[in-house]
Amino acid sequence: MRILVAMSGGVDSSVVAALLKEQGHEVIGVTMKLWEGPNGEMPESGCCTASDSEDARKVASKLDIPYYVLDYTESFSKNVVDNFTQMYAQGLTPNPCVECNRSVKFDHFINQAKKLNCDKVATGHYAKIIKNNGKYELHKADYLNKDQSYVLHMLKSSDLENITFPLGEISKPDVRQIAARNGLKTAFKKDSQDICFVGKKDYRSFVEKRIDLTSPGEIFDTDGNKVGDHNGIHEFTVGQRKGLPGGYGTPRYVTKINVQNKNVTIGEKKDLLVSSFIVEELSCVNDLEYKNLTIQTRYNSEDLHCEIRQLSDTKVLVQLKEPAFGVAPGQFGVIYNGTKVVCGGRISPKVLENIG
Amino acid sequence: MKNQDYLYLDHAASTPMRKSALDKYIEAESLGFANSSGGHKLSRNSKNLLEDSREIIAGLFNSAPGEIIFTSGGTEADNWTIKSLFDSKKTNNNLVTSNIEHEAVLASAEWVSSNGFQTKYAKSDENGFITKDEFIKHIDDETKVASLMWGNNETGVIQPIKDISKELKSTNSSTLFHSDVVQGIISDNVDFHKNGIESAAISAHKIGGPKGVGAMFINNKYKLPSFLHGGKQELERRAGTVDVPGIAAFATALQEQQTRFDEEVGLMNNEKLIFENKLKNSLNVQIIGESMNRLPHISNIQFKDINSEVLLIQLDLNGLGVSRGSACASGAQKPSHVLEAMNIDSKFINNHLRFSFGWTTQAGDGNKAAEIVMKSVKEII
Repeated sequence: MRILVAMSGGVDSSVVAALLKEQGHEVIGVTMKLWEGPNGEMPESGCCTASDSEDARKVASKLDIPYYVLDYTESFSKNVVDNFTQMYAQGLTPNPCVECNRSVKFDHFINQAKKLNCDKVATGHYAKIIKNNGKYELHKADYLNKDQSYVLHMLKSSDLENITFPLGEISKPDVRQIAARNGLKTAFKKDSQDICFVGKKDYRSFVEKRIDLTSPGEIFDTDGNKVGDHNGIHEFTVGQRKGLPGGYGTPRYVTKINVQNKNVTIGEKKDLLVSSFIVEELSCVNDLEYKNLTIQTRYNSEDLHCEIRQLSDTKVLVQLKEPAFGVAPGQFGVIYNGTKVVCGGRISPKVLENIG
Repeated sequence: MKNQDYLYLDHAASTPMRKSALDKYIEAESLGFANSSGGHKLSRNSKNLLEDSREIIAGLFNSAPGEIIFTSGGTEADNWTIKSLFDSKKTNNNLVTSNIEHEAVLASAEWVSSNGFQTKYAKSDENGFITKDEFIKHIDDETKVASLMWGNNETGVIQPIKDISKELKSTNSSTLFHSDVVQGIISDNVDFHKNGIESAAISAHKIGGPKGVGAMFINNKYKLPSFLHGGKQELERRAGTVDVPGIAAFATALQEQQTRFDEEVGLMNNEKLIFENKLKNSLNVQIIGESMNRLPHISNIQFKDINSEVLLIQLDLNGLGVSRGSACASGAQKPSHVLEAMNIDSKFINNHLRFSFGWTTQAGDGNKAAEIVMKSVKEII
């Protein structure tokens, strides 16, 4: 097969290219250039940086495969960065990596692969694709520590048909060993954790440079008493503990952000417990299912048992079996049946029913 | 894929060294390795080689040896002339150039502008051509430097240098007229004095010489301030140990190029026409600047229905190397400022490729290139 491999310059995608080449496929390496500074320079830290594309090029050269850098900056800036700043401005918690997969990477990449007569595209994500009764299913990776099915939930069966995730059954330590065995310079490279376009800087200063965020409002406790003022709701996310008015016996957390009147509510940890919420902009891998479901409300978070009720084509109401912490509007909720991804979407800020 | 099976049509970006030049380089590195500024026999060898090379190059351009100053390439020469004449005490001085110049000129112009001087840009018409009137209308009593390229590096369109230089001098006789002739010398007869060019940037690697070597032509009546400060090398105008072997190879490459000029350029032109005609007859394409007087080695093609980012890859996989706009550090390629200046419809701006022929071009290359393009287009549509 001719396979287009997305090479970020990290060890995972390097090993994907090496494995596919070893299996005898015709491999073409591509780095997607997603973000650039005002003079066209690539960011200095995080994934997809100038030095990363340099690493990817070196790996491609070592493996003797053709390698290209493709420009995705326009789409990335529009779909990911603008969305990121706008969501923060609204007091929501964006997940730019999911947004990038969902609106930039895969569509464009699969499309280009088809034009180049590639049979598949491959990435270094930890997830599995299983063909079952003619349909393609997305499953958690065997190596659960690194499972990335959460950030891939928006892929549909028709997309999965064109994709391969060669790391689905391999552990991270094994990946590093394969890289070392192949003499790839990325073998012992640290995993990137930063948001690629923000880098090591504070994301708030990044957002502040881009849009005017001054939206002063008031801070209330859960009984409705005013306890302070604030300069903008972008300074808060649900579950945040730092920077809040003090003087209570127990720690206080942001429990609610009202986008309309800019009011922020703080309460105790128990006030963060959520038992039901809406997931919108829903995308299903195959048909929606209703039995034996669990949900992750953040990347690689605990699987919470739940039931769902469909409200519309793109909206479900999620009812948790046990109330849980850490459900933040703006993040994605991804619903599983066992290891299989059923569907996922954005956690709505609208109805967030707190108990406590 | 081995290099010999690969069809290279990116000569406007760089060319392989001619064998004669490579031989000269090796010879010069052994005979003339010494510092040409020293006071001993081996230095004299180097110095002789350097001055012989200068005479050869000056002669080929009908200019005096003292008018040729060696640099690290075209970019340095452009930077030198454009930046060094702006004196911080005379902030009413201005610079005139065009919006289709090479990045070396445009970025130097931006530098001039960031230092508080006015920079004016003559606008290209839709054919990639700067008319005389458009250029001259920006010239006034305070214009210190005017800069216009000989032939554009993306479209090949040749600019009206002689007309403009003449009119320029009657508008403001003290304006220095600079021209980036880096692409021009590949396939056109460039005579500085006859065309009223007072300063020019030349590069060796575009005509089969080594990379990292170039020259500035500067009319005897001007003395530019030093750009690199240090020792008194290179006619006391450019500090730094002189790359004598590189310069000797440059002179040899240029000599060979000039000797074979008609034959080589004739072939480039022929192959280009064969290539363009074949594409026109079988694909939905437009040849940019087709009605214009173009440099014989450059062909810029607009593919109506194909994004050239993918086509470039498919051509590479099929053994044809070309380019798309100017490359950035990472290798991603951006839409070109030249095409934007020509008001190319934005829906086609990412659909262009530049095919550039050169001294290694052989009979049959145009046909072979067209076949690969047609095959690749069929594969990706």
